[in-house]
Order: sequence, then structure tokens, then C-alpha cells
Amino acid sequence: MLRFIQFTATRAAMAVVTLLLVSFIVFTLMELVPANCAERYLAWKNTQGEQISVEDIRAEEQRLGLDKPYIQRWATWVGNVFFKGDFGDSCILRVNINQLLGEKIWISLGICFVALLVAYLIALPVGIISATVASPALNNGLRLVSYLGLALPNFLLALMIMLFSTMVFGDSMTGMFSKEFRDAPWSWDRILDFLSHAWLPIFILGWSATAFALQTVRALMSDEYGKLYVTAARARGVHGRKLLWRYPARHALGPIINSLGFDLNRVFNELPIVAVILTLSEAGALLLEGLARSNDQQLAGAIIFMLTASIVSLNFLTDVLLSIIDPRVRKSVMGG
Amino acid sequence: MVDQTVSGAPEKSVDQKSKEAYFTASQAQLVWARFKKNRAAMVASCVLLAIVLMGLFAPFLSPYDPTIAGRDKEYQNGAPQIPMFCDHNGCSARPFLHTLERTRSIKTNFRWVTTVNTEKRRYVTFFPEGWEYRLFSVQIDLPGEMLDINIPGFRMTTHLFGIEEGGIHLFGTDHGGKDIFSRTLHAIYTSLAVGTIGVFISFVLALIIGGVSGYFGGVTDGVLQMVTDAVRTVPAIPLFMALAAFVPDEWSSEARFFFISIILGFIGWPTLARRVRTHLLTERNQEYVLAARLCGASAGHIIGRHLLPSFTSYIIVDLVISFPYMVLSETALSFIGLGLKEPVNSLGVMLQNVTSADVLLNYQWYFIPVVFFVGMVLAFVFVGDGLRDAADPYSDHK
Repeated sequence: MLRFIQFTATRAAMAVVTLLLVSFIVFTLMELVPANCAERYLAWKNTQGEQISVEDIRAEEQRLGLDKPYIQRWATWVGNVFFKGDFGDSCILRVNINQLLGEKIWISLGICFVALLVAYLIALPVGIISATVASPALNNGLRLVSYLGLALPNFLLALMIMLFSTMVFGDSMTGMFSKEFRDAPWSWDRILDFLSHAWLPIFILGWSATAFALQTVRALMSDEYGKLYVTAARARGVHGRKLLWRYPARHALGPIINSLGFDLNRVFNELPIVAVILTLSEAGALLLEGLARSNDQQLAGAIIFMLTASIVSLNFLTDVLLSIIDPRVRKSVMGG
Repeated sequence: MVDQTVSGAPEKSVDQKSKEAYFTASQAQLVWARFKKNRAAMVASCVLLAIVLMGLFAPFLSPYDPTIAGRDKEYQNGAPQIPMFCDHNGCSARPFLHTLERTRSIKTNFRWVTTVNTEKRRYVTFFPEGWEYRLFSVQIDLPGEMLDINIPGFRMTTHLFGIEEGGIHLFGTDHGGKDIFSRTLHAIYTSLAVGTIGVFISFVLALIIGGVSGYFGGVTDGVLQMVTDAVRTVPAIPLFMALAAFVPDEWSSEARFFFISIILGFIGWPTLARRVRTHLLTERNQEYVLAARLCGASAGHIIGRHLLPSFTSYIIVDLVISFPYMVLSETALSFIGLGLKEPVNSLGVMLQNVTSADVLLNYQWYFIPVVFFVGMVLAFVFVGDGLRDAADPYSDHK
């Protein structure tokens, strides 16, 4: 038990360090954008017809704390994020980031997690079956499907679905809510409406995740299945489902759980692009909006940080879960 | 090795010969022999080769200039034209198209209307003289004198095929009248170039970082792993978007192109670096290295003859496998408008306008390039997989 606590604490510390590193990267990115917040704000004021001088810019910088050294500003930003959950204000839109992102980031994360869940619900049984049943037809079929999942990137898939549905149904199936629910408060009807729209992005995001998961599961299972302890068990007369679940499946589960974080990473990669195609109004599209159209670095930084934080926390959770399942992991505290 | 055949021994049987060939084969020969057995990978490598050649000889194969200069004003948003050998007037050995005539009269309310005249044939010509291009020329004009590379290549004006009069558009044309077939070929070239540069950069970075990490181990390794993991947890495409947003609009298309490739390289290294590191860490302590050392081999010999060969195959496989992802990232970025822009031809650029309902309903031939790209990526994945299986010396025993 003591060892378990020690392990968890170490992992938590590592997660925090990773997050700090990431926040530093993100913050540096935010700082790299030419023209700082003060200049932008005043430039905006300028368009309102006010005269702006260099002193004004300096004063504004002081008000925003932009004259402080780099590290100190980073520390302030990180402190606000970590302890208050506050990402500050967006320069361009002059609104608090949390208000902007609030609901959207949760919707995005929800969609991604559901996509991942669906992917593994499909991939686990199918992958295990394909690894253990020696049927060339099934294997080659699965291979082709998963290769297609790798080769047909999500945005092309989304385009294809749009093309198909426009040709067949005359409706391109875009958007996240129907017109009447777009800005309505959450209600039962709105949830139903949301679900009727959300299945498509979930399907598209889950598509390539499933392909990857299938490959992982299959490779791990066929590795384990050829090992001697399985042969030994079979020689003792263990067979069928018991042989599968008692031995190789449990072993193969470890690396699968371990790779969940990276699968989520992959799903996040696809999110903005799919969001653009399906004209969804969530974080991915906001990110694009913030970057491509207006260089809104606070918004972009906040989104990237949130996405990364969710990956890091997932990694942490899977580590802890693994250490509960598999004592070998607990023993190697630093082993990754 | 000591030669163990005794002089005057009877003729060796074929079986023994093949065994001997097997035991004396170099690693490359072994990998090739195993790769040849994999039929899917062989087919894929042929496809891949064809696509790469298509990309390299794009200007020669395409009848029109893929930029706005080569547009066909008479045929905008035109459907694909497939050359035929037969029509109601009989057959010919040379493929031909029917003539399109544009007329306007009182009947059409004085609007231009295109009609197909099936009586007039236009024959396809081979090796006509067309717009001028350069094969194998590399002209890089980056800021600074040092980085200007200029390889003139061959100036040519001959193309593979054309048509007597009017235009021939195998894949149709887009809204500007640009030939989609020509653009697709050039897009393949662009994607290959972006992928190559990106893979090369990430490869160098991965070798350095992973190599240092694996070779020194200990604290250096720990710190570097921390950084690598941090970079790896940031989702690449959003990060990429953040970086691509810095590209000023006034940059030339070449500068943009290189910038995008370089960023791709800078984001792609962590996975490869990790592989290099783990490989070095495990390989250093392998028994065959110990055996070689006990036999009195020098460090240079061990690195050159044992470690590196055990390693290059993995690296090559990794590069092949990571290549399509580079290409796809570029495509995705260009598609959302953060990557390459017109007049550069890349798949993403070509797909920028297809989400409009107009295109989806009426001009489905905008999607033809997608088929080529999916084929290219699939071919890469298959070849990469085949190579991975072939390079793994234990794959036979599974």
C-alpha cells in the first residue's frame, strides 16, 4: 500500500512537471506572436477614433503587467491557470477566455472521449478475435479496414460523408445544434437535438481511432498468444474463452491502457479539422478562428493547454489504473 | 569466417547451395528476400513507384500548366473528358474527343451555351510541344545568400499528350478553368517534397536527441525524456496551427512551403527519437555486442558492423511509416487555409473549396485527386508494414 501511494505521488509529480513544461511551451508560443496585448488593444481604440501615443502604450503595458520579465509573466499566467482556473482575457475579443470556452471545451472533450470509448468497444473484441482465429479472409479484411482508417484521414472521410449525404439526402449534415436550439439554455430537448447531431463527428473521429486501436490490440494479442505460457496452459487442458481471458488478454491489456493517452492525442489532432468541415461550433473551430483569422494567442494558448492537460491527466489515470492491475508496474516507480 | 569446404569434395547439392547463400547473405539481401514474399507489399511498392514517378515527371505528363496561366477559359467547371475510340461514325485507332461548340442565339436568350458536336472529332496528339517547364530543377530562394540553391535541370517543352484543338481535361476543370489532372500530378510532387523535407528534418533531430539520450543515459536521459514526453503530449495539429499562424501573408509561396515542411519536421521528431533511444539502450547491452567485445573487436568495429546495421533497417522503416503522416498533416493544414496557398498545387489547396454545396451537388470531379492520395498513403502504409516485417529478423519464426 505504501508503495502504491509512493508510486501515485511520483506519477502525479511527473504529470505536474509535464504540464509546467507544456505551459511554458504554450506561453512561449503566445509570446512569439508579433504585437502584444497592449498594442493591439490601443490599435483597436485607435479605430474608435482616439489618438494614441507611445506613452499610452507604455501605460497600458504597465496596467497589463507586460513590462515585467518573461519568467515572471509566465509564472503569473501559470499560477492563475493552476490555482484559479483562469486563463485571463482574450486580447482580440476582450472577453474572459473562460466565458468563451466554457461550454464548448466540455462538449469537445466529451465528443473526443466518447469517440475513443466507441473505438475501443469495437476494437477490443474484434482485435482479439482476429488475433486468435486463424482465418485469412477475416484477417485480410480487417487489415484492409484498418489500413483504410489510416489512409483515409478524417477530414477526407468527413468530406466523403458530406458528398454522399448531399447527393443522396440533399442535406450536408453539418452543425452541432438545430437552428431553434443554437443559443437556447440546456434542456431535455436540446440534449436530444445535440445527440442527433453529435453522432456524426463521433463516428468520424472514432473511425481512425478504431483503426489504430485495432492494429494495437491485434499486434499485442498475437504476440502474447504465441508465448510459451499460453502453450503450457493449453497443455494443461485450459481452452476456449478461459484460456483467452485468464492469460493473454489480461497481459495485453496493460500496453493498451498505456496507449490511451496517445490515442486521445490523435483524436484531438483531428478535432479542429473535422470541426471546420462540419461547421461545428466547438473548441476546435474556435482554435482555428483564434489562430487563422485573428491571431488571438490567449485563446489558442488556452485551448492547447486544456487539450494537453486532459491528455496528461488521462495518462496519469491510466498509470494509476495500471499499477492497480499490474504489480510489476508498481515496482518500477520510474519505469515508463 | 573459415572456409570449411574440403578440396575435392563432391558437387554441392542445390539445397546446400541455397543454405550457404542464406548464411552468407548480407542483411539487405535477407530483407529483400523476405520482402519479396509479401505480395501485398510488392504490389503496393509498384503502385508507390508509379505514383512517385508521376510526381517527378508531373510537368511532362500534364498537358496544361497547373497555374492560372494554363487555364481553359472556354471550359470552366467542366466535366471530365474521357477520350474514346469509337462513336456512331465508326472506330479509330487513335483516341479522340468530340468537339464542344459554344453558341448563342435568340433561342438561348443570348447566353453562351455549350453543345457537343458529335460529328466533329478531335484526335489526341502525342508528344506535342506545349508550355515550357524544367525537369529535375531545384530553385530555392530563401532569405540569405547562403541558402540559395540553383540546379538548372533540363528545359523542355514536350508533353506526353495533348489534343488537336481546344482542350483535353481528363479529370475536368475547376471553377477557374484549371486542369485538375495537371494539378493532381503537381500536387503529388508537392506532397512528396514536403514529406521528404519534413521527414529528413525530424530524422536528424531524432537521431541527435535520441542518440544523446540513449548513449549517455542517466540524468541526461531523464531530462531529455521529460522534454520529449512534454512535446509528445501536446496535440500536434493544434500546435502546428499555432505555429503556422505566424507565417506572414506576404511571404512567397516557396518560403511558405519550406516553413511548413520545417515545422512538420520539428513536430515529428519525438516518436522517432524515442525509438532511437530505446533501440540504443537495449542494443548496447545485447549479448552479441558482448560477444564481439570478448572476441576482441574494437569499438569502431562494433558500432560500424553490429550496432548500425541492426539499426538502419528500423530507421528506414520508421521513416517510411512516418512519411504519409507528414503528407496528411500538410494536406489537412492547407485544407483549412493555414498551410500552403495558391498558386502552389497541393491536395489541401485543391480541396479548399469543395465543402460548398454547389460543388458537392454539381462538380463531384473535384474529388478525383482524393483517390490518388488515398492510394498513395495506402501504398506507403503497406510498404512500410512490409518493410517492418521484412526487417525483423525473427518474423519467420512467428
